[in-house]
Amino acid sequence: MSFVLPIGPQHPALEEPEHFRIEVKGEEIVDVDIRLGYVHRGIEEALSKRSYMHGLFLAQRVCGICPVSHSLAFIRAVEEIAGIECPDRARYIRTIGAELERIHSHLLFAGIAAHEIGFTTLFMLFWRDRELVLDLKEMLWGNRIHSSETTIGGVRWDIKPNQVPKVLHNLATLEKEVKHYIDVVGSDRTILARCANIGILTKQMARELCAVGPTVRASGVNWDIRRDDPYAAYSEVPFKVIIERDGDVLAKILVRLREVLESIQMIRHALDAMPGGPIRAEFKGQVQKGEATGRVEANRGELLYYILSKGGEKPERVRIRTPTYANMPTVKPMLVGGTIAEVPIVLASIDPCFSCTDRITVIDGNTGKSKIIAKSELRRLHK
Amino acid sequence: MIEILSFLLAYFVFPGLLFAGALGLLFMGIDRKVTAHMQHRIGPPIWQEFLDFGKLLGKEDITPAAAQGAVFTLAPLLALGAAVTVVLLLPINSAQPALTSVADLIVIIYLLNIPAISIMLGGYSSASPFGAVGASRYVVQLFSYELIFIITALTAAFEVGSLSLSNIVTYQAQNGWLVFKAPLAAAAILVALQGKILRAPFDIPEAESEIVHGALTEYSGPKLGLMRLAYGIELFAVAGLITVLFFGGPVAHTIAGVEIPGVVSFLIKTFAIVLLTTNIRNIVARLRIDQAMKFFWTIIALLAIVNLIIVVW
Amino acid sequence: MKAEQVVQLIKDYVKDVKVTNEWRVTAITDEQHYRGALSTLKTNDILHLSTITGVDLGEEIEVIYHIDCGGPLLNLKLFLPKKTPSLLSVTDIFPGAVLYERDLMEMLGVEVKNHPDPRRLFLPEDWPKGNYPLRKEAKK
Repeated sequence: MSFVLPIGPQHPALEEPEHFRIEVKGEEIVDVDIRLGYVHRGIEEALSKRSYMHGLFLAQRVCGICPVSHSLAFIRAVEEIAGIECPDRARYIRTIGAELERIHSHLLFAGIAAHEIGFTTLFMLFWRDRELVLDLKEMLWGNRIHSSETTIGGVRWDIKPNQVPKVLHNLATLEKEVKHYIDVVGSDRTILARCANIGILTKQMARELCAVGPTVRASGVNWDIRRDDPYAAYSEVPFKVIIERDGDVLAKILVRLREVLESIQMIRHALDAMPGGPIRAEFKGQVQKGEATGRVEANRGELLYYILSKGGEKPERVRIRTPTYANMPTVKPMLVGGTIAEVPIVLASIDPCFSCTDRITVIDGNTGKSKIIAKSELRRLHK
Repeated sequence: MIEILSFLLAYFVFPGLLFAGALGLLFMGIDRKVTAHMQHRIGPPIWQEFLDFGKLLGKEDITPAAAQGAVFTLAPLLALGAAVTVVLLLPINSAQPALTSVADLIVIIYLLNIPAISIMLGGYSSASPFGAVGASRYVVQLFSYELIFIITALTAAFEVGSLSLSNIVTYQAQNGWLVFKAPLAAAAILVALQGKILRAPFDIPEAESEIVHGALTEYSGPKLGLMRLAYGIELFAVAGLITVLFFGGPVAHTIAGVEIPGVVSFLIKTFAIVLLTTNIRNIVARLRIDQAMKFFWTIIALLAIVNLIIVVW
Repeated sequence: MKAEQVVQLIKDYVKDVKVTNEWRVTAITDEQHYRGALSTLKTNDILHLSTITGVDLGEEIEVIYHIDCGGPLLNLKLFLPKKTPSLLSVTDIFPGAVLYERDLMEMLGVEVKNHPDPRRLFLPEDWPKGNYPLRKEAKK
């Protein structure tokens, strides 16, 4: 006898509202159906009604964890159509911003993953260390997450020499902690029991389903936009693309933790090698006729912005394809055959961001308007 | 008349509902504080559980329309009643518990299963898929730890040669704590404790991130308050039982000329056991139900049975 | 793979190829040939379809397949008449296209034949049929 276990739209396992209908026989999962759309906000349509600068602020807010990536993808496309060349120093600062964001996002993910397997202590400790990065972002750019440092033509603020020592200090502390966490995750028996050989995504499945990001790098796919389609200063800052072979939840966690170490190295190199000069080229607001596709390696994978301009102040069409959208089809093969207990951790292992996925158009306010169902994490009395 | 009054006093005040309830909630509060500091946070004040309980009592009492109302309402009361009764059977103040019967260890083991069963009943009667899954996990977990619990408790009884708790306390006062004579059993019962009070790695029936709140999902307001109070008393009772069986129970000591009454020594030891469970639960992740069962039925069962055999021969 | 190699692979199936730089290739094809181009790419181990974009150009609907060719990104475009926009699904070539085609169907009203699961993706079930939000004439 199989019955359906609804996960969502509100559920303590989920950070954002989405709906999974999981058909189970006992504890074993036999089928998964995903229903998206709970956070439509009409962004693609909204972007075509706003000027580029205004649209930049909107694009940043597609996601609450990866605003820098969204800015960079949007800007990459706009600068290509408008023929704007970003100054060298700004490219390095953009790289630093993007890597700081990658670190904070991966630590956030690691905390959530720990929480999903019931290891609250580790969750708290990951997020404690994440504060080191958020403090840096606040010091450099005034805001912890939506820092808006990248703009069309360059960056808004320079990194001053007196800020560098604090950056290096926090990064050194963080590096030590993350190395320790990698040891813990790879050796703690209860973590291994819950994460090893769970939610396996084979390399073939990952490539066929056109999935992206650390999710596929954990399955052995050697692909990273920073190396293969470089932007900002990535062709000048050396880094390793982190690959794991097993494709299970443990591999996905390890890939992200190792990427944090790699990002720390990249920021150090960028701070060292940053050339002097202006940080912003002029953008007059008008963009000529043309089209471009901006791609970046966001925290979760390939983020793509396609912009079509018919000349003028506003874009004609903006198409956003976020990494979680690309990774959605992988959820079913990872879950089927497993048990209910694995659902939260397997879902968390693709590092889902449903705000990113659901941003497609709802134009009017009449019938069938999709409400934003506020993420209401049920408050459970602490046990 | 006097007997009825003294029974009522014992049941409701000391060492019954009021005393055990207050201590249970206090232990839970201190556990939260210690957990918070282990996690590098500040955490709620140690009185938080009292405040939560009071708040819950003041909320609207809701029973889901599809639930079986009578069972749903009865479950928390059953749990509370059984937990308090166990406390009455424990020697807290002295070697003599408030209530005695001939084979009180067996009675206690049975009574301690009732809170578990009432949670399961609550889960099944709540007409929620999460409740059903939580209750079924609880059943499986019960099969894991309960046998170990029984075997180890009986090991202590065999060592002493009696099922009466007051005899076990007096035996230990003369011959030393049983933890030194039956260490494997003591280790096994502490692991079984972790399963019995639903703490990581065995908090599977209430895995918050998977099945909302398991069997207690549909409970709210005063009923949830009573369930939590019952949990607090159960925590106190089971830890207290282990103190009596293996760690000497309420024995008065004289240290440096200061006399420490038995009840204080009992409370300190019980609290130390609770802290041990807190420590364990903060340093591990949660296991899956099949992994937990395998763990109990292999390693822990081995420890318990080996010790039983040693003691019986 | 280099941009020039991509051009060589698909040249039989496309009309107009532009190599903007080493990372961007744009090519225009039509309903008869687009599947040929995609299949050829797949047999040469190009498996990643980044996304499918639909644009309402007024009289026509433009469908763009963005394909990652291991370096350069290929934008393969085709134009469908607004009155009867219809395509064959490419999920047999690129299984990862399954969600993007559903998106195209519900937002722009392009009929994608042979799709394994043509349900709505983002719009709620009670959204009126025939109302395609990304089309220019979608009502206020």
